[in-house]
Amino acid sequence: MYDYIRETLELMQANLTRTILTLVGLVVGVAAIISIQVAAAGMAAAVNGAFRGINVNTFFIFPKSTQGSTQRANLGLSDLTLLEQNVPGVETAIPFGQTRTIVNAGHQHVMLKFGGESYRRFSTAPVVAGHAIERAEVENASPVCVLSSKAYERLFPHAVDPTTVLGQSVYVGPKRYVVVGVLGPATLSTASLGFDINNDVVIPYTTFYNDYQRGRPLFGIQVLGSRDAALATLEANAKRVLSEAHGGSVYQTFDFGFFTKQIDGFFGVVGTLVSAVGAISLLVAGIGIMNILFVSVSERTREIGIRRAIGASRATILIQFFVEAFVLAFSGSLVGMLAGLGIGELAQQLFIARISGTIAALPWTQAILLATLFATIVTLVFGTLPALRAASVDPIEALRYE
Amino acid sequence: MNDTAIDLQEIVKTYKTGSIEVHALRGVSLRIERGEYVAIMGPSGSGKSTLMNVIGCLDRPTSGNYHLDGIDLSSLDDRALAKIRLEKLGFIFQGFNLLPRTDAMKNVSLPLFYAKVAPKERRERARAALAEVGLADRAHHRPSELSGGQQQRVAIARALINNPAVLLADEPTGNLDTTTSEEILELFESLHRKGRTIVVVTHDEEVAERANRIVRLRDGLILSDTPTERGHFLEGSVVPQEATPQS
Repeated sequence: MYDYIRETLELMQANLTRTILTLVGLVVGVAAIISIQVAAAGMAAAVNGAFRGINVNTFFIFPKSTQGSTQRANLGLSDLTLLEQNVPGVETAIPFGQTRTIVNAGHQHVMLKFGGESYRRFSTAPVVAGHAIERAEVENASPVCVLSSKAYERLFPHAVDPTTVLGQSVYVGPKRYVVVGVLGPATLSTASLGFDINNDVVIPYTTFYNDYQRGRPLFGIQVLGSRDAALATLEANAKRVLSEAHGGSVYQTFDFGFFTKQIDGFFGVVGTLVSAVGAISLLVAGIGIMNILFVSVSERTREIGIRRAIGASRATILIQFFVEAFVLAFSGSLVGMLAGLGIGELAQQLFIARISGTIAALPWTQAILLATLFATIVTLVFGTLPALRAASVDPIEALRYE
Repeated sequence: MNDTAIDLQEIVKTYKTGSIEVHALRGVSLRIERGEYVAIMGPSGSGKSTLMNVIGCLDRPTSGNYHLDGIDLSSLDDRALAKIRLEKLGFIFQGFNLLPRTDAMKNVSLPLFYAKVAPKERRERARAALAEVGLADRAHHRPSELSGGQQQRVAIARALINNPAVLLADEPTGNLDTTTSEEILELFESLHRKGRTIVVVTHDEEVAERANRIVRLRDGLILSDTPTERGHFLEGSVVPQEATPQS
């Protein structure tokens, strides 16, 4: 077996240009499939990482906008208490309300995301100065605010220390809020999803309600579940409780799993497309390899004759050409695998890492298995005919062959 | 113990080329004993190549029986015939037929590779075989780096490495000049003296005269089967039987 492999390698070397051209298709195919896998794995890790900035047991509940009933399902303040009291596992429920607005502090006027927060926090960013929104502040609807790390940096670019801004005022329009806390950066950024919690300014949700939402039905409710509650159960129960309270109106929920699914779906489509391209190039590659093997068989007809005369059986010749096919296919797959991992890694470094700050580990085992699988399939599918032709060479004819 | 190396009985070989039937062999019976040195002669189209292919187990007769070293070959499949070629026969060709990209050592050890001999033993035996034909210092030369005579000696070493029952040579000196031919024929003689059974197919009278017995073919039949001068005078050589040995 070793002799066969060595001989094939020597042949490949002797016909280097031919070998390279033959294997290009296979390299491209394998590289495409493996690189998209690396990128998808990296993106999945990035998405998971992104949500770590926000408590994962969070979901949003909205009236379902597409129901046939003329009467639109409403949500009101009473529903917050309803959810907190009647749905086991709900820690807190607050009006969903966020706005992008200009926040002023001294001479700084900065566009920031501005919204409500409860004393049971949705954010997981650490508090680096002062304190997060407190229960009393929620109950009293106090005019206080907590700045997230970037909001702090942009509103107070000259501050030497977060503690120095505690007690200072920021303004949204005519309304004044006193800074009571500053947050550090969340471990991972959510910028990739179109919102960056590091840019938030939050005030007690009751204050937010009083200042901006009073007199209108709630757009939606943001719910924080307890750490060990199953999100799906929570969502189902919340929908049921609200529906019962509102005469059968229908509600819908969203959680981060929804976004994850969207992104997974996107990568699923991209992955399918790339895999299709990969499969086609594998087909082309396989035909190329088959072609080169046929050439090899006819070039070496005499050699086959010699081997047969010396004592090689048909089966032995068959094996020899299968080995040759496999060595060709395997070297192509190997190069393709390394290229694929390289491209995937590059994509992670250049794009995904910028968004998420994480790089997923390269899936070596998976890639090696995949490359071996491709090599085997290509060998079996496209090596069989040339090997059979080699084995069926008539030694008498072959020895006469010049 | 069987003393007959080759026993052909009423061998007929008919080829079909399109609708035309070619009768290459029309009933050839021939016995070659162990240790004989036989030349098979005949003009083109006499059937000598076909006979050579049949003896060499590369071709099957249309009818007739063939025993090689006591083994009946008529019922063997491809794998078994390959094994016979591997173990019982050593081929030497006019065009040497060495593997081009492979050095002398590898060429010589190729039969051992098919016989599944371990690599270390393959190397040792190949080295010994090359030394025997006087090419110990050319072990790592490729065929293109060797002269014709050297290539043929590599081929002889390869043919002998499995210690075959019969050495089968097809025009072994056809591509060689006179001096080199002489070297090769001397090598054959020395092998014969060591007890090898040698069958040479040739149309060269001078080559044939070196054997002990000449079988002449014409139109697919044995025309004559006679001992040569050498065959008469060489002491200890087996005196061949009459031209029609069937009892």
